Amino acid sequence: MNRSPIKLLVLTLAPALLGLAVFRAYPIGLALYESLYTTIGGERAFIGLGNYLDLLTDAGFWKSLRVTLWFNLIINPLQVALALALALMFVQKLPGMAVFRLLFLIPIGISLPVAVIIWRIVLLPEGFLNGVLGGVGLGPYRFLTSPDFALYSIIAIATWKGVSYWMIFLVGGLQNIPPEIGEAARLEGASPWQRLWLITLPLLRPTLLFVLVADVTINFLLFAPVFMLTGGGPRGSTNVLMYEAYKSGFVFGDMGRAMAIVVCLVALLLVIVGIQFRLLSSAPPKETP
Amino acid sequence: MPPVLRKAVLYLCLVAAAIIFVLPLWWAILSSFRPNDAIFRDLFPFTPRALWPEPFTLDAYVAIFERGFGAIIANTLLVAALTTALGLVVNALAGFAFALFDFPGKSTVLGIVVVSFMLPFEAIAMPLYTVVSQLGWIDHVAALVVPSVANGLAVFLFYQFFQQVPKDYSEAARLEGAGWLRILWSVYVPLSLPTCISAGLMLFIFQWEAFLWPLLAMPAQQFKVIQVGMAAFQDQYTTAWNQLFGAAVITALIPMLLLIPLQRYYVQGLAGSGIKG
Amino acid sequence: MTRLPILTTALAIGLATTAHAQTTLTILMIEGLDKGAMEAVAAQYMQDRADVKVEIQSLPWNQFFQVSEMRLKSGDAAVDLIYTDAPVVAAYAANGYIQPFDAAVADEAKAKLVAPSVTAGTYDGKLYSLPMNSSAQVLYYNVDLLKAAGVTPPNGLTKGSVANPDAIATLASTDRWTFEQIAEAAKAVSGSEGGKAKPWGFAFEQFAELYQLQPLGGSLGSDLISADAMTADSYLNGEAWTKAATWWSDLFNSWNVSPRSLGFGEAAQMFTNGQLAMFVGGTWNVAAVAQSSINFGIAPHPKFADGKAATPTGSWYLSVTKASPDAAAATDFAHYAALSDQGTDIWFDKLNQLPTTNRLLDKINADNSFDAFPASVMRLSAWESRNTAVARPVTVAFSQLQDAFRTAFTDIANGVAVDEALATAVDSYDQAAKRLNRK
Repeated sequence: MNRSPIKLLVLTLAPALLGLAVFRAYPIGLALYESLYTTIGGERAFIGLGNYLDLLTDAGFWKSLRVTLWFNLIINPLQVALALALALMFVQKLPGMAVFRLLFLIPIGISLPVAVIIWRIVLLPEGFLNGVLGGVGLGPYRFLTSPDFALYSIIAIATWKGVSYWMIFLVGGLQNIPPEIGEAARLEGASPWQRLWLITLPLLRPTLLFVLVADVTINFLLFAPVFMLTGGGPRGSTNVLMYEAYKSGFVFGDMGRAMAIVVCLVALLLVIVGIQFRLLSSAPPKETP
Repeated sequence: MPPVLRKAVLYLCLVAAAIIFVLPLWWAILSSFRPNDAIFRDLFPFTPRALWPEPFTLDAYVAIFERGFGAIIANTLLVAALTTALGLVVNALAGFAFALFDFPGKSTVLGIVVVSFMLPFEAIAMPLYTVVSQLGWIDHVAALVVPSVANGLAVFLFYQFFQQVPKDYSEAARLEGAGWLRILWSVYVPLSLPTCISAGLMLFIFQWEAFLWPLLAMPAQQFKVIQVGMAAFQDQYTTAWNQLFGAAVITALIPMLLLIPLQRYYVQGLAGSGIKG
Repeated sequence: MTRLPILTTALAIGLATTAHAQTTLTILMIEGLDKGAMEAVAAQYMQDRADVKVEIQSLPWNQFFQVSEMRLKSGDAAVDLIYTDAPVVAAYAANGYIQPFDAAVADEAKAKLVAPSVTAGTYDGKLYSLPMNSSAQVLYYNVDLLKAAGVTPPNGLTKGSVANPDAIATLASTDRWTFEQIAEAAKAVSGSEGGKAKPWGFAFEQFAELYQLQPLGGSLGSDLISADAMTADSYLNGEAWTKAATWWSDLFNSWNVSPRSLGFGEAAQMFTNGQLAMFVGGTWNVAAVAQSSINFGIAPHPKFADGKAATPTGSWYLSVTKASPDAAAATDFAHYAALSDQGTDIWFDKLNQLPTTNRLLDKINADNSFDAFPASVMRLSAWESRNTAVARPVTVAFSQLQDAFRTAFTDIANGVAVDEALATAVDSYDQAAKRLNRK
């Protein structure tokens, strides 16, 4: 590694670190601090780990934790796999690709609330999708109001909104792979499938790690579709932890409990992201000293 | 698989993906051309007529711009452009430093940078409001731009990329006597255009979708951004659905139009530039 | 207060008092028509008081509670007056966001306003909020759809009809449809094909919301929670509410006459499109419905056959924040807007929502400009607000109660057993009430 020129380090790091310290780290510190407080009879009171201890015996919290884990177990692999598939299609050179590339970019500019409003109409019992399914003699299904479907409908909406965005990062990553390598493998008779597994994916590892970490984070903290569509129901089947925290803090005014939930959520997230780093970041071939 | 079949399967996938992306939006676009009281006319129950703008009117678009949505879009573009430009510089510099230099406590600092984006914005909105109001920035554009410039995720993205660039590139330049910033500018930046576009997109979309923070930080509402402007289409008793969808169509088109010219950096790529290891 | 860095705020206040005696009051409220009405009130107020400037900040309706809560919680001295939804008065007061009015204002309010609207603004024996207006719910029915299904429509107010005060009183006290009649009529309209081949029979405007559905249990004589607000047990899961919730469940699960999910404003949209035969909704829909080509009428809010009439009420209040540096001036403005003749007249003329002052309610009853349809709907609302209105319960844990209620009634509509859903709601409320009333 290079010697570290102090001046240069300060110059390059200071703007970002200062910004993060003032506008992220400091507010985060205040938020963590808030998790040690509660309101009793209109007065703010320090209760140490009381909010956390309350969570231990809070059945709603544990149920919500299970929903969160299940939700993330499905949505993250699904989104990354679909985004990768889209990215591989996106870089193909075929007649008419320009049009498809354009269409793939559509969901990026649609904000999540608007996407949710549109999808609600699609998924209503008398809505668009049931209309189409009814045409082939299926349904009607209660996509948003049945405990069996609601969580998967939320996953579908978030995936629709999210995959194009992650696709862009993966397309960027594909650009960084030298085309000569793929070309060489092709000449040696490797099938497209082999080239994907043996060459593209390993070389895409840093980008995949980035997308996976960022995607997992965003999905762990996702609650807008739940908030707008199901309110955590039916029967608590879509009540993810972040929604539980949001409700506690902003609907019920119980900021202490909300922050305690957020801290637990982020701790869990850190463990998962740590595992992802372990599994994926060992890769880049380092030069031997 | 024979190439012809492979192509057919590929096109089938492309068409399927395109339909899924476009169809829900198609309905929204057509609805924006209907009068507001006819939005749900063919929807409960659904009939194929719902996919046709009948009756047709441009009222929604007229009303959107009469509400001053043009200025709102310009405001958002300003905020997003400033954030993207400053953010690219600030975060690329930091990513560069983390990737190339060693210093005590580096992994800890890098860890904190990455973790800093893992907290939900809702959790820090209130403390951040206090910080920004102490700086006296409430109702100033700075309140929207400055807190969003430094972005842990963008630093991480640049770090990941710069780390991949073989060290002999920079070492060769060092031997020729080039300074570090020069190396960053003339060696690393040209290589990292796709990464810059990804990071820029991230910063841009973050501002494009920003909602809660602009509501808090700009209470006088003299300077509105898109999501805040769109929220006004739903009031206590009624919703201007056609205007809401019209505005959604406009706001979806803009990032798309900005991305199209950048596509060539992506698509030429597989045959052109790339890091040779 | 104008927006200044906190460090210099104190200095600025000091300077303001010595240099120029100009007070700036900032009101935080919702966007839309209410804001326009408040601007009119403020304009008149400022004309008479050169030393006061009233500024209005607004937030979109959907985000109002969340964002205003954050600003109140952070002790933001920039907000002097906060637009307050009736049921959150208790929580705002308990959390120390707002300050009570003095005894003089409270006494004047009791003398001038209808009783339920004073009760809803009172917490712990003190008046914290002054009502700007109230609300009322009525039954909208599509005459043609009902007749086509062989149903005789209810007696009500229709286009071209004229209703003097006596006629309104007779209609509301003796000619009110029952929920049982609603169900029969809805079944006749929908058959088993509601929402598909045939229109829906019936819907409530605000799906599963406490405000909208409180009269179901209320009509059968039950409150939602105990008088001390400590428990919902044997109230929300008692006999009356079980019967009410069963009727609600049947709408979806047995009779299939009502759509299972309704977004905001969708009931009125479906009604004006002829896709829905009847709905119970706010009087704010009258103008939009009257503009459509639907042949419709407006009848009093339904009740259960063996119950009494009970109707939703309550709307927005105005409160002085605890952080306000100009509390006296803010109180004066709130008094002007909610209690003075001039202020309340401007508000009523601009917004045309049901007033809370006895003076304006008397005027609506006596003034013959309210004889003709649709102005007569206001007279019906005024009658309901004085005779059948049941305010939402005053409890610190109202948000939790509202959420538990919404969850329970949404789940019931989706097929969860009534007993199970109500028991869950009681548990969540009781847990919250216990937590918030810790000493």
